[in-house]
Order: sequence, then C-alpha cells, then structure tokens
Amino acid sequence: MLKTELTLDEGEEVGAGETAAVLASPGETATEWRARAEVYHLLSGVFVEEPGREFIEALRAPAALADLAATGLRFDEDFLATPLDVLLENLAIEYTTQFACTGGFPPVESVRLTGRYKQQPNFDVMQTYQRLGFALHPGRFEVFADQLGVELMFVAKLLERGAAALDQGDVAAQRRLDKEIKRFWSQHLGRWVRGYSQLIERTAQHSFYREMARFLGGFAGEEIEAMGLRIEDADQARLEVPKTEVRVEFNPNEPVCNGCMTDALSTTLAAPDNLRRFEELRDLGGLR
Amino acid sequence: MEMPKVTRRTFLKVSATTGAAAAAAPRLLNAMETQLGGKDFGPVTGAERKAIPINCHVCNIQDGAIAYVENDRVVKLEGNPEHVSTRGRLCAKGNSGMWYSYDPDRILYPLKRVGARGEGKWKRISWDEALTELAAKLDAAIKEDPNTIMLKFGRQRTGGVIDRFMHTLGSATIVNHTSVCESSKKIGMEPTWGPDIETPDFANAKYVLNFGSNILEAAYFHNPLSQRITEGRVDNHMKIVTFDVRLSNTAGFSDEWIPVHPATDGAVALAMGHVILRENLQDSDFINTWTNVSVDELKKHYQQYTPEWAAKISGVPVETIERIAREFATTKPATLFTYRGPAKHLYGSYNEKACMMLPIMTGNIETQGGYCLPRGMGWPQPSPQPGKPKKASYLSHPPDYPLAGHKVSHLVPFWIADGKQKINVYITYQDNPVYTNPGAMAVWGKLFKDEKLLPYLVSMSPFMGEETALADLILPDCPYLERWEPESMPNSLWPWLGIRQPVHKSLGESRENRIMMRDIIWKLDPDGKRGMKQFWDFKDGEAYMRHHFDNIPGLKEAGGLDFLKKHGVWPIYGKLDPKSGKVTDKTGREIKAEYGLFKKELSAADMAGTATDKNGVISKNGKAIGVKRNGKNYVGFPTGNRIINVRVDQWAEYGFNPMPTFKRIPWHETMKEDELILTTFKLNVHKQSRTAAVKWLAEIAHSNPLWINQATANKIGVKTGDLVRVESRAGHLVTKAYVTEGIHPKTVAIPTGFGHWEYGRLATLKLKEKKGDASHGQEDPDLNNVWWDDKGVHPNNIIPVVADPIGGSQGWYDTVVKVSKAGPNDKYGDSQGDWQKHYDAYKETMRYAYTGDLHRKMHPEMASWAGPASVKAHEGGGH
Repeated sequence: MLKTELTLDEGEEVGAGETAAVLASPGETATEWRARAEVYHLLSGVFVEEPGREFIEALRAPAALADLAATGLRFDEDFLATPLDVLLENLAIEYTTQFACTGGFPPVESVRLTGRYKQQPNFDVMQTYQRLGFALHPGRFEVFADQLGVELMFVAKLLERGAAALDQGDVAAQRRLDKEIKRFWSQHLGRWVRGYSQLIERTAQHSFYREMARFLGGFAGEEIEAMGLRIEDADQARLEVPKTEVRVEFNPNEPVCNGCMTDALSTTLAAPDNLRRFEELRDLGGLR
Repeated sequence: MEMPKVTRRTFLKVSATTGAAAAAAPRLLNAMETQLGGKDFGPVTGAERKAIPINCHVCNIQDGAIAYVENDRVVKLEGNPEHVSTRGRLCAKGNSGMWYSYDPDRILYPLKRVGARGEGKWKRISWDEALTELAAKLDAAIKEDPNTIMLKFGRQRTGGVIDRFMHTLGSATIVNHTSVCESSKKIGMEPTWGPDIETPDFANAKYVLNFGSNILEAAYFHNPLSQRITEGRVDNHMKIVTFDVRLSNTAGFSDEWIPVHPATDGAVALAMGHVILRENLQDSDFINTWTNVSVDELKKHYQQYTPEWAAKISGVPVETIERIAREFATTKPATLFTYRGPAKHLYGSYNEKACMMLPIMTGNIETQGGYCLPRGMGWPQPSPQPGKPKKASYLSHPPDYPLAGHKVSHLVPFWIADGKQKINVYITYQDNPVYTNPGAMAVWGKLFKDEKLLPYLVSMSPFMGEETALADLILPDCPYLERWEPESMPNSLWPWLGIRQPVHKSLGESRENRIMMRDIIWKLDPDGKRGMKQFWDFKDGEAYMRHHFDNIPGLKEAGGLDFLKKHGVWPIYGKLDPKSGKVTDKTGREIKAEYGLFKKELSAADMAGTATDKNGVISKNGKAIGVKRNGKNYVGFPTGNRIINVRVDQWAEYGFNPMPTFKRIPWHETMKEDELILTTFKLNVHKQSRTAAVKWLAEIAHSNPLWINQATANKIGVKTGDLVRVESRAGHLVTKAYVTEGIHPKTVAIPTGFGHWEYGRLATLKLKEKKGDASHGQEDPDLNNVWWDDKGVHPNNIIPVVADPIGGSQGWYDTVVKVSKAGPNDKYGDSQGDWQKHYDAYKETMRYAYTGDLHRKMHPEMASWAGPASVKAHEGGGH
C-alpha cells in the first residue's frame, strides 16, 4: 500500500485553475474531499488486485448496493446471488483474465499509452509519488507504479491529506494538493482512464467488473468536469465516436469557401448539440 | 559597408550550390550520440545513459551487447565494442530485445490453471501457493520414482543449473531440444575430431565450400561469421561456393550457387573427395600423421564415390563436381562450413562426416584461413554438487539410439504414449515443442492435453507460448535482460567468457530460473534435513556467478565477476578500430588468432607421470592427454586417441558404416513425378518460436509463403499469391505461393517462425480473425496500428518425425509432399496433422534404428555385423 510521509510546504497563493471547491467553507470542502477519497479507494480496491472477502462483503451490503444502484450500476445475478466463496473465486479468475494474464488488458498506464510495460508514465508517477513523500509497497502482489489501482489510491491519499489540512486550517496546503491532483489527472489518469473503462466495460465477462468499469468511467468524467479540466483521452481503447455524434466547433465537411453549407449540414445534424451549434452558425451567416 | 541581403529564398539558393563546401567545413561539435558504440546519450537531455554490458540471448549466437538504461528502463540495445567475436555489431533481433521485457502479454505472476487444459482460464496465485503445490507434486513423484519427474528445456543457458536441479531431485529424465536442432551435425563431428562444431576462418580463407548454411542470415554464429565471410569476400578476394536447395541470401552472395537435390550434399562431398584422392590432390602428410587411416586406405574407400554416381543422385553435373573439387584442393587456405542442410536428414551424421572429410583430406585443419577447432572457455560449478542419479532414464538415453549423445527428444511423445517411461511431473523451460517440433500441435499438443500421460505440467516461461498455454501451473520466468547467466560460445577464433546480468529489476513477480529452482528446493527441504538444500545455498544470482567467475586464473586477477559486470566479456583482446571494424592491438594492427592448437607440445610438467602406447597415445591417470608424432609430444585432438578418427569404430559396433559414406533417403528414391520435398528455413529477423510477438521484427517479416520453382508452379497452374494445398503423409496445410527461380524444382520451402496460435496478441493477430472474443487481447485497439493481417502458416503440423539412427536428428528436410491449387474448401492458414499418421511415421523411422528391421537393408556393406544382440552396452557420446 502507499505509505505516506508527506510534509507540506507553507504559503502559496491561490492561482489560476483552482476549483471552486475552495470557495466553499473549509469544513464543507473537507467533507467533500473525504467523500471523493472514499470513491477513489473503492475503485482502487476494485482494480489494484483481486477483491478480498471483506471488500466484497461490504460492497454486497444492502445499503452499499442501493447507493451503487442509485449511481446507475446494475449488477447481474453473478454478483448479487452467487455464494461468497464461489464469487471470490470467480472474481479472482475474471481479474486474472482481464488484468493479469496474457491476452488481457493490463490496467497500467504505460501499456495503455505506449503499448508496453514500464515506460515513461511509470517513472513519471513514481517520481511524483516520491516528490510528495509516498513509497509504493507490494500488497498481495507486486504492481507497477502506474497501475490503475495505485494511481487512484494516490489521489485518494492526496484528498485525505487535503481534508486533514483543512481540518487544521491549512488552506494553502489544501490548495497545493488540489493543484497536485489536477496535475496528476491532467498528466496521467485523465489521459487513459475514460477510454480504458469503456474497454473493460466491453470485455468484462462478469457484471462486477463491467459495472465497476462503468462506474470508473462515469466518475472520471465527473471528476474532470468538476475540476474544470480539459484533457484529451489518449487511451488506445477510446471509442471511435461516429461522425454524426461529434460535437464540433466547425463543420468538418464544410469547404473552406463556406459556399455549400446546405449539403454539408445533413451529415451533422443528428446530435442535438450539433443542431444548436449549426443554428448559431446560420444566425451568424445571416449577419453577414 | 553594405551588408549582403539574405532572404530565405537567397540562402536556400546558396545552400544548394555550396553544399560540398559546407560538408567539408570543420565540424568540431558532434552529437555524442553518433560516436562509435560503448556510450550513449539521451537525444533530448544529452545526458550519458547508463551502459550495462551483457551477452544477447534473443537467439543463441551470444553477441556481445550493451543495454542503455534510463530510469531502470532499457531504451536502446547495441553491440559491445569490447566483445572480440561480434565487435560491436548486433543484429536486428538483438536490437529489439527489450520488447521481451515490456511485452504487454508477458506473464508476471504465477498462474494456476482453472479450466480444462488449454482452455485459457487462469487464476493468479502467490509464489508461496505455487511453490507449495509444486513441491507436493514433486514430493509424491520422488517417493514413487524420481525419474517420473521430467524436465525438458529448449534454449537454456543457465550454465549448469538445470542439471543441478534435476540431480538434486534425483531424476535423470532431463531432455533437451537438440534433436530438432543440429544433433546429427554434432554426432557427425564429435567421434571424428572431438568438438561438435567447426570454426571456419572465413576472413583469411581463399576458398569456401558452404553446404546448406545460410551464414548471412540464420546459421549458428551468423553475426560473427557473416562479418568474417564478408571480410574474406571483400578484403581477401576469396571464392565461395554454396550448395543449397534454395537461393538463400548467402547463396546469392556466393560466387556460385549450386542447387543440389535435397538430402544429397553428402554424395557430392564424397564425390569431391573421390576427385581429390584420384588426382592426388590430398595432403598425404596430414592424413598419415593425424588421422587413423592411411592415404591408401582412404583412396581405396573413396573409389566407389565417383562424380558420375553423385551427379545422378544430386543433379550436380560431373564437371562441376570435378572442377570445384580441384579448386578446393588447390586453393590454399580453404575452409568449409555446414549447418542444417546436410545434417537434418535420416542419415545426417553420415552427410556431415562426408563434408568435414574435405578439409581433413586437404590438410586445412587448424590453419590460418582453414577449418579450425572451436575455442571456448569453461567455469567451475559451485560446491557441493549433487551426485548423478543412479537410475537411467529411457527418455534421456533411448536404448535404440545409443550413439545419439544429444538425445532424440522429438520421439519422446511417442515413447511416453507407448508407456516406455511414466511421467508424473513434466517441467518445461524455454521450450515450445507444441510449436517447434515435427507434428507440433498434432503430436505434442495431444500429449500435453492428455492428463493421464502427463498428470501435472509446469511451465517456467515469461510468455504464453503454445506449450505454456497447455500447462497446469505457470511460473513466470524472466526474459534475458533480467537474468544472471554465465556465457562462453565458440563464435570466433578467440575464446572468451561473458555474462548476462540483469539490466533492470525484473518486472512483476517474475523470477529468474536459478532463483525459481532454488525456491522449489527450499520448499521441498526447508530445514536441509533431506540433503537437498546444501546444493542451493546462495543468496541471489550474483552470488551464484561469483562461484563461477571469481577464481578463474587470469580473470581472478582482473577482478573476477566485477570485471565482467563492467565489461561483459573477458579477455579484452584489443580495441575496436572504427574504420576497419576489426579488433586491433596497441600498434593498430589487427590481433591475430592462434592456429594449430592440436600441434601444441606438451610441457615436461605435462609429461610427468605419463605413459605412451604403441599408437603414440599419451595417457596420464588413465586419461589420454596427447599423442606422440614424429618424435614430438603433441596435445592432439580432443578425441579418445587424440587424433582424427576418419574411421569411427564405435559406429561399426552397431552395424553402421565406420567410414565416410552416404545413404539415400529410401522414400526419395521412389518419389513420383508430382511429388516434391518440403524444406523449411529461417529468416534473419526471426528465430524458431519466440520472436513473432516482437513488434519491430514482426513488422519486418510476418508471413511465410511457400517458395516454389517457376517450372513446378507452371505444371500445376500456380502463380505468386495463389493459394496452394500442401499435403504430406501426416497432414495438410493451405498457404500462398511465392513462385521463384531461386529454388530447386523438386523442392518447396516454407520459412519457420510464423503462424502462431498462441504467444500473445501480436503473434496470433486474433483481432483480425475474430472480433468480440476477449482473449488474446483481440479488443486491444493498439492492434489496429498493426497494418498487416497475415500472420503466416505454420508447417510443422504436417512434417512427420524422422530420426537419424546415428545422431538422432529430426529429418526436417525429408518430407515428401504434393502441392496443388487450393480447392473450394481450403482456407488460408489451414494446418492440420493427424496423431495416428504421425505415430505411423514414428514406427516407420524406428525401423531404421540399429535395432530395426531396415538397418541391415540400408547397410549391405556391413553384412559381417553380428546384429543388435552382439552389441555391448555403451553410453552415448556427446553431452
């Protein structure tokens, strides 16, 4: 597990890119950060290694299932109605198939972004962990520093630190951590997690991983939006979006002379956003 | 003063006309990354990268290499300029070696099978769970009979660890892969002059005969030898003649390519010997002094091998045989090289022997530019060592093949199926016979799936090869860049010692082989009471290496293992000259090799306490150490009698011809007009089974059409790209044709190393075949970047077993096939063999063993042999 030995520097001004969260009261922010940290820990537990008995028992508790259902997760009987021992075995096998065996899809940033283990992202995140006073220790199995579960765990730790800082009235420290989290999302998680979650949603044979992948994707999208970040998803598995659903700032089929807009419109009007956009374009055209 | 007006247009114009001057202008500042090897710099940071010398192990040439490391990650591999054999050059395979470490399909954890064998369902388990389970299986097997534990290895360079492990367990069932490699070459040579291979001094030769070796691409030692043969060709103006069924790149590089009928090289070599002896072109002094036959005996024996006889068999014209024989015998120095071409046949040992007789009878042995003994160095093993098992293993030393000192591993499945030896635990290391052996999936796949014949199957492997995919337990081994291993390979005329050392931390939970085996033993004997642990008392791989290297005279003074860690190789003979590419001494001259090793005289100290017999053999403490010739005491050759045995008496004991001879493949003699012989070959960027998942290499070569001669193709109406059906006695395949004049009309050829059905997403390209299946990474969109969709077709399913009754080699190039246009039901990539048909082939080939009913028929000249019952029990030669 990540072992923290973080000390915080003093005195840094609020800068550009910081979220509105700091504008809420410190107490509210601390509560929110702890809640976010819990979700990160949960997702980290799903992906860092095969789930343990306590982890699954807690997840299958009625209250937890209800909350997960409220977020839109729909587990099948293979998760809900299978005896615990059998379920743990099934999940261990499914984990191996999906994440830890030839032919699977390692939840590792280097693999997703470069096609190979232990490439630059691995060393970059390791450097970040070290810079912030963390050391990576093996759990049941040795994992890479840029493994999904570890990256999520790292953000959870930063959130907890931030909440603790707020408890002590150290807003500056919390702001610095907010920056670190955003930087980490921009440089790492945000570049691969959304596409990867879609891949696992497609390939998972067990509803637990299918739904947790959906949860991961939704949560990642929400976090990115809430933090006000714009990050391109560079994961190899990002879905190819049909052209008709692409939200564009311009009409990609439009000739440069802008003289044949009518024909080109028919191919891009299916999505409501596009429709709105082209209505705006028409209005602008009318002004000329 | 008016300044010149320089616009973008004017300076572009100026640059176009002044380029030559600019090129000649002094350049004092050079990017350090362009310097001659040994150092490397990050192109962005300019910082010097950490350089760790190793010996490459993508294939088995053992090139000296340097791994450049940034952040515990290999960013580049290149040749080690201090390595005397490979002199700073590394081939494409070596340059790509880091792909093994970082392959996304690499196995990083112990895996336990949870579905049916081969179903692909695994569960990750801890090392402790894995070792506990395996130890229990081994323990039970040891109690029943240690020999029921079998270990079969492929490309292993552990330097003695495998034997130590198996001997610790008490098992003699250790099986290598050499019979599908070059064992009949070895057995053709070893009883004759001692070592199992030659070192041709190409760089200094004036004439080279090359029988069936693709030196520039694939032969043993292709990197160092291709350097030397190019030097000989360019600097020394040597002539090279290549006998090959196919216009390989080496044949194309040669002065003459002579397309010989498959399996008849031996006849051509014998006929050339006939011409040399008939025309008195032999080196009589060498023959009479250094061999166990006289010139007269040899002349008499070779009378039967006329050029007319060989021409009829081989298709090589009489005039060509005579001309080349004369050229070879009268051009000094001359050398000869063979690899699989002559040796991979039913009687491959005879063929090899026939070839090596040419440099012997012309006295080109151990001369500058000649046919030299291999140079190697050894290392001591850590003490104490376990004793050898008391009970012999049938599979390790099959009694029907007593001369096959390198075993007959490709017949093992049939012997297990026949109940010749029971196996409880089968361990495999760096092997993949399900892909690489004759019969492939049809034979080994069937064996491995049979849980009655092989109740427990353990694979030590970093990759999910065709064999590992059928295992019950997978222990994640390390690829070569993460291992400690001792090395020495006779790949030039200068002996050397070297190491592989981990260049970065092993990934995941993979463990190198010697650590894995130590941990198994420790689990079996935790407190040492069983007497096993004492043989495995080392902390790590480096500590083990210190046992090997810290006390070798010379190296010890240089620093032992620490010297090797720094340089990768010892000794350092000189400095690599970047202009000539040669290793030079302090005066700038190329270092010279030592020749005439067998003519080294024994010292007075050596001679103390010796006895010399009537044949001149000098013995000490019961072991022959030299030979007396012309009044001098020489070290001689490393044979039992210290001279070259042209006549191998041991062969005669088993009813084989002890003198150089040739046996035609019986089923080749009865081939019908529409039948062809199927051969296989390797490309320069692939090895047998372990490179198809290396992206850089797969991009260069990923498919393997069938080479077929234009005239042959015309007969069946096939052109390049057409689908063809290739049928042997054991199965059929469907592939594409490549029509060319560059192959013998009676031969077709398929490159090996393609058509994988396991080995990861890149090797299998299953994404392209079957979308929607989550296995093999099919859904991985990175594969969309793979622009090719042809992974090739694997030929081994249809190649039946053939075993040389002497050397034990597989007759890879003996398969008779019919080739036709593909039919409506044929699909590209079909490759099917049939167990029963392969089994029939096994029964057939056993008939040629010395115990078989065809042995006598094939050897009418040995009519006086008293039969199998007359043979005393002998241990096979070799190792």
